[in-house]
Amino acid sequence: MSGASRSNVGGWLRGTTIRKGATPSTTRSATPQVQSTSSTVFGGGVKDASGRTSEFFSMDDQCPVCKSDRYLNPKLRLLVSSCYHKMCESCIDRLFTLGPAPCPICNKILRKLAFIPQTFEDLVVEKEVAVRRKIAKEFNKRREDFPDLRSYNDYLEEVEDITFNLINDIDIPQTEARIAAYRKENASLIERNLQREEAYAQALKEHEEAEKRERQLRADELRRAEEEERDAREGERRALIDTLAQSDADAGRLVARSKAEAQKRAAARTSAAAHAVQASSALLLRSRAAQGAAVPDVPHVAIQDDWYAYEDMFTLRPSYFDPASDAVRRDREGIMRAGGYRVEEAWERALRSAVAGLDLPPLVGLAAGQGDGDVVMASV
Amino acid sequence: MDAVEKANAARQRRWTKDQKVGEGTYAVVYRGREAATGRRVAIKKLKVGQFKDGLDMSAIREVKYLRELRHPNVIELLDVFSSKTNLNLVLEFLDSELEAIIKDRTLVFLPADIKSWIAMTFRGLEYCHRNFVLHRDLKPNNLLIASDGQLKLADFGLARDFADPGYKMTCQVITRWYRPPELLFGSRYYSTAVDIWSVGCIFAELMLRTPYLPGESDMDQLKTIFRALGTPAEEDWPVRPPRTASDDTLADVHALQGHTKLPDYVPVGQFPKTPLRDLFTAASADTLNLLGKCLVYEPRKRISAKEALNHPYFSALPYPSHPSKLPKCAAQLASAKVLEEVNGNVDPVGQGPGVKAAPPKRAKRKLSDDDISRNIARKLDFS
Repeated sequence: MSGASRSNVGGWLRGTTIRKGATPSTTRSATPQVQSTSSTVFGGGVKDASGRTSEFFSMDDQCPVCKSDRYLNPKLRLLVSSCYHKMCESCIDRLFTLGPAPCPICNKILRKLAFIPQTFEDLVVEKEVAVRRKIAKEFNKRREDFPDLRSYNDYLEEVEDITFNLINDIDIPQTEARIAAYRKENASLIERNLQREEAYAQALKEHEEAEKRERQLRADELRRAEEEERDAREGERRALIDTLAQSDADAGRLVARSKAEAQKRAAARTSAAAHAVQASSALLLRSRAAQGAAVPDVPHVAIQDDWYAYEDMFTLRPSYFDPASDAVRRDREGIMRAGGYRVEEAWERALRSAVAGLDLPPLVGLAAGQGDGDVVMASV
Repeated sequence: MDAVEKANAARQRRWTKDQKVGEGTYAVVYRGREAATGRRVAIKKLKVGQFKDGLDMSAIREVKYLRELRHPNVIELLDVFSSKTNLNLVLEFLDSELEAIIKDRTLVFLPADIKSWIAMTFRGLEYCHRNFVLHRDLKPNNLLIASDGQLKLADFGLARDFADPGYKMTCQVITRWYRPPELLFGSRYYSTAVDIWSVGCIFAELMLRTPYLPGESDMDQLKTIFRALGTPAEEDWPVRPPRTASDDTLADVHALQGHTKLPDYVPVGQFPKTPLRDLFTAASADTLNLLGKCLVYEPRKRISAKEALNHPYFSALPYPSHPSKLPKCAAQLASAKVLEEVNGNVDPVGQGPGVKAAPPKRAKRKLSDDDISRNIARKLDFS
């Protein structure tokens, strides 16, 4: 997909997509190709869904610093500083190659790598988007993190307040302090919500992949059906010609009959194929997609039951005086070891069995004479 | 009727037997229900009569170990009772098995699905091993899947508890394709590592969707293994640990003897080691690392079930699929639907004791004929 065809997708977004090093496409002769004149790759900016940066681009662009414009320099590319002032790539190279320097417009100290491509025509919007993105990364609490709606609304109000201050440069140090305090207070929660979002994105991606596979499968199925149909039609035609050649019945009637038969078969085929494709794809999609949203995958927990192995009641020594296993341990032929047999496991089992019964209270309610009667198994 | 018979009859009445669902070499499996709750169960009727020496060994094993084990990833034995000369095991009902799912080509496995299945397998196995039980017959066929997606180890007919030192165990266990090399070499003294090898083979099978090491005979099995993983050198699989100070009394000749001293050792040819990556091209590094550790030649170096559960493979993204989201095979889905219908229409409580109510039809008719004639005879008796 070329940059030109994407450029007006958003309506409000009059920009073109720039990919450095991409071959210039022939379809976009109306707009000059925006090329970078700098050797620096400027990151950042607002990315669209496919991960590419849409860059704002206009015929009236002019660098506020050197006053060169698109008429004089068709390769003009304006970038935005961290104080949200525009300047062209050659000015950036000239001013900041030797290290951090003051902005020629507002005197804020800037670095070359902090320049970002411009996406929106209005730099206030550019700034707002950047600020909101940064804030949303940390202020990621959800409704379920609050006891009631009221406190959630208060929180949203506070976030909006901070965002507004940052966008309009009101009480910057104070606002920064507020953010820092929030970050410290909610570090673990932020981390958890981040992970949750990642998991959600993962699920979304999986869902998308499944859908893609499904589409592919359906397309294959369709292609196959079409081929089959073509083959069948060819076969019918040949059969008809054969019959016409061999039989001496009325040619008109033969042709009519074969036509009717072919029609009937074709109808049956299409309905069956459509049905099968629909059924299988719908089933797969429904089952996988519905579940994906409903039940989130949970991180792996190695052992899920709390099982007590009496580990604190004994310590396994490396060796015991155990004449019974003496021969095994000496293992003249080495076959025990090669088979993986471990005498330690037998020792552990013996020890655990020995200590397991220590805590049990003696059975109560069993009279002395009762014990020697019928043995009754405990019920399941 | 003595106390034992009475207890047995009471147990028998708790369960109703429905239709036959399968037949094995030593058992017939019926679908059934718990009379009181309508809960679905599987009743495994063991054919006892045909064995001259009493109960079949595998029946004893199955009952013995399943009575002891209770874990979400191990099939649950609900009850045992006898009917006439047969022994009946009442097991929880499970819809399908992993083999059917692997073979169902319409299903797509995500890496997360495989992770989930393997984690559940290891969890069940770890539970068995920590209770000193070797399963000795792990294969996809014996990993059953419950309707909620939980995987459960089943078929404990070859299970055994750890041997006491010096006691031999049989090496003719585990289905051939999943049998580790030490058993193929005839080792009579082995450990939990044999089950881990089987899990490794199942793990690979889940990724390949076809058995990983399908040998045609025991001899060919070794060849297949070595072709896939390389022939082990003596030092890959030594008999003796590296000598330490306390070992001084041991004879030096044993310093470096390998698996070649195992009873049934036969050289089967030299094959080069090929990296797992060549066959499992799409697997992540973690996956191959765990798989490699399950398929180590030296049993003592093979990963244990507990270590495996703590392997980074399981904690890495993607998270294991939630059991309810795992792919189900078509037969399973269909059976679930049918059963839903059945559940809706039939009152399971009103069915009466199925075990007694379903004698062969011919016998029934004959019996009733006899009854009728006897009744008539009684009426005509004027004495």
